[in-house]
Parts: sequence; structure tokens; C-alpha cells
Amino acid sequence: MTNFYVRWSGVLIAAVALSAFTYNHYQQNLATWSPSQVKAQTPLSEVRVLGMVQGGTLAGRVETGEAAFKLIESAAALPEHTGIPVRYHGPPPENLRELKTLVVIGKWKASDHTFEAREIGLVTNYGFVAAAYLIGLIPLALFLFTMSRRVGLLYEEIKASALYREEDPREP
Amino acid sequence: MTIHRVIRKVRRFQGWVGGGAALCLIVGLYLGLIGSPPDYYQGEVVRIMYIHVPLAHTSLLGYLALAVGSAWYLWKRDPLTDNVCHAVAALSAAFTALALATGMIWGKPTWNTWWTWDARLTSYTVMLFILIGYLMLRTVIDDPEQEARYAAVLALIGLVDLPIIHFSVEWWRTLHQPQSISLRGVSISSGLLVPLACMSIGMSLLFSYMLMIRTQQLYLTHLLHAKKGRLLSQFHLSKSDT
Repeated sequence: MTNFYVRWSGVLIAAVALSAFTYNHYQQNLATWSPSQVKAQTPLSEVRVLGMVQGGTLAGRVETGEAAFKLIESAAALPEHTGIPVRYHGPPPENLRELKTLVVIGKWKASDHTFEAREIGLVTNYGFVAAAYLIGLIPLALFLFTMSRRVGLLYEEIKASALYREEDPREP
Repeated sequence: MTIHRVIRKVRRFQGWVGGGAALCLIVGLYLGLIGSPPDYYQGEVVRIMYIHVPLAHTSLLGYLALAVGSAWYLWKRDPLTDNVCHAVAALSAAFTALALATGMIWGKPTWNTWWTWDARLTSYTVMLFILIGYLMLRTVIDDPEQEARYAAVLALIGLVDLPIIHFSVEWWRTLHQPQSISLRGVSISSGLLVPLACMSIGMSLLFSYMLMIRTQQLYLTHLLHAKKGRLLSQFHLSKSDT
């Protein structure tokens, strides 16, 4: 039974390491900030901001990759409290429209109080992916764990029984 | 009383299968969740494919193995084959249920519904019910030989559903997409194919590993039952002798 627990500790450690790795990747490449968070915390490094383009604020030439707009939290939020002005400069964006929810990637410039964006992406939704993987893998692991333990106990019970004969190595 | 030599072999080699499964699954999870690009239309949600498709593949292969094993049992009447069939059915049912669950989670963001009476979904659910029926049938019959015989026949009748599942996406043009990998070629980009292949191999190995464990569990349980029966009859015999 000791071997059994060593092996399953290994499985547990691998699962924890993989989830920590995935979480780290998520934080670095996929996690998003809200406009009000950016305003309050003024991050120095590059961040991803999730928000909606406020109606009537989109200006500039979107076809050439130059645009300016105001990014707000949602349609219901009060724009003057939550919105941040965004200046976009980069390749012509495909999804930039007014009233569209999207992810803006870039840096907050504290000097002129605007967000300098270099890329505009679609909203990522990792909730369904995480749910599918957890629902797919955790029951299998639990099933395997209970079966393995049961088999270990059965072997012990059989070896302890009166009728058990030691296996003959010469037997094919 | 000794343990069957096949079971002893299985016990000796199961670690390799389990290790291979763990390796393939870890590599596949890394490639699927992090190393592969998001899909142009579906975005990140396409990553559910790397768990849903391997689970479904493996459960169908499991049913095929169940049918082959049942036919073999009806021919040879070997109790160990029956234990293997029983184990395959339980695992196949678990994999089917999980494939349905992950498919539902995939359906919500892509089709905007958890469930629809699509031909493939329906025929696949029928397979889950056949497997549940198989497992229930095995619990209600007292005589182990009769139980094994009836169960094998049921498994062979249920085999009708397998081609329906396989060809449902071609016979009826409904919501579920046709398979990307078939005999006519591969219609999937290599960036998505590598993690999918890795997860598929890993899932099949995991199924085999779980099958090895489950078969041992069923076999040993039967062995203990037989031993208890024999002890009991010995006790009665010695009593009647005196």
C-alpha cells in the first residue's frame, strides 16, 4: 500500500503543478483588467483591458490602424466614472466598432492619462474550457483512485486467506 | 487456489501502460491548453475539443471491445473474458457520460444550447442507456453463468447503435459537425491535430490502464466469493462427515 500512496501523491503533485502552470499562463496572457482598475492602480507593465467601446466616441481612421475611443466597463456603468480614453496605433483592427465589447492590449500612460493600445482582441472565455476539463478529468481520477485502492485491499485479503498458494515462478 | 496467469501478467505490466497514459495526457494537456493556437471562428472554446473528442473516441472503441469480448465469451465461455467485458462496460459508460457532459459544455458557447435532439447526440445517448442497461442487467441475475450469457447477448444487440453513431453526421445533416479525421483524409490543421492525437492516445492508454485495474478488481472479487463458497462447503462437508 505504501507504493500506492507514493504513486498517487505523484499524480496529485503533477496535477497541482500543471494547474499552477496553467494559472500562471492565464494571469500573464489571458487575464483582463477592467477600465476602473486601470484607472485606480495605474499598472506600469502591459495589461489587457476588457471593456466596451462607448457609443459616439470612436474617432480616427480605423481602416489605417489609427483610432481613439473611450472604453467603458459596460453599457449600464456611468462612463464618466469608469471609462478610460484609449489611443490605438497598430495594424488595422477587424473588430473595432462602437458599442462592441473587446479586449484592448497595451500600456497605461500616466503622463497624458490615456491608454496606449497596440492590439485589439476578442473577448476570451475560458470558463467553459476550464469547466469541461475539470468535469472530464476529475471523475476519471477519482474512479481510478477508488478502483486502485480496492484492488490493493483485495490482494491483501486474498494473500491473507487460508486457501492461497504462493505463486510458482516456473508455472507459465 | 492461485491467481490467473493473465491477471499476474497484467499486474506486472500495468505500470507501463499507466505511465504512458500519464505522459501522453500531460503533454496533450500542455499542448491543448497552452501550446496550441485558438480557432479562428470559435476562439478559445475550441480547446474543449481536446478533451471531448478523445473521451468520445475512447468510449466508442470501448464499446467495440465490449462487443468483441462478448462474442468471444459466447464462443469460449471463459469467466475471465466475462470479467473483462464487465469492466469495459463500466468504463465505457463512464467515458460516454463524461463525453456527453463535456460536449454539452462545448455546445453552450458554440451552438448556444446545452442540448439538442441532434442525430449524433441522440444515438450517443442511446449508447449510454444501453451500457447502463447492461450494467443493471448484470446486477439482477443471481446465477453468474446466466448473467454473463444474457449480458453478452445484450451487448451484441446494442452493437447496432455503433454504426448509427458513426454515420449519423453523414446521414442526417444536423448541428453536430462531421468528424475531421476519417479514412478520406484529415481536414484539420496540424496545430490542432498534434494535441488532439496526443490526448486521444493518452485517453486510450488511460482506458486500458483503468481496464486492467477494473478487471483485477472484478476477478479478485469473484475469486474471493468462490473461496468463501468453497470454505463454506468444506465446513459443511466436515460437519456432515463427523
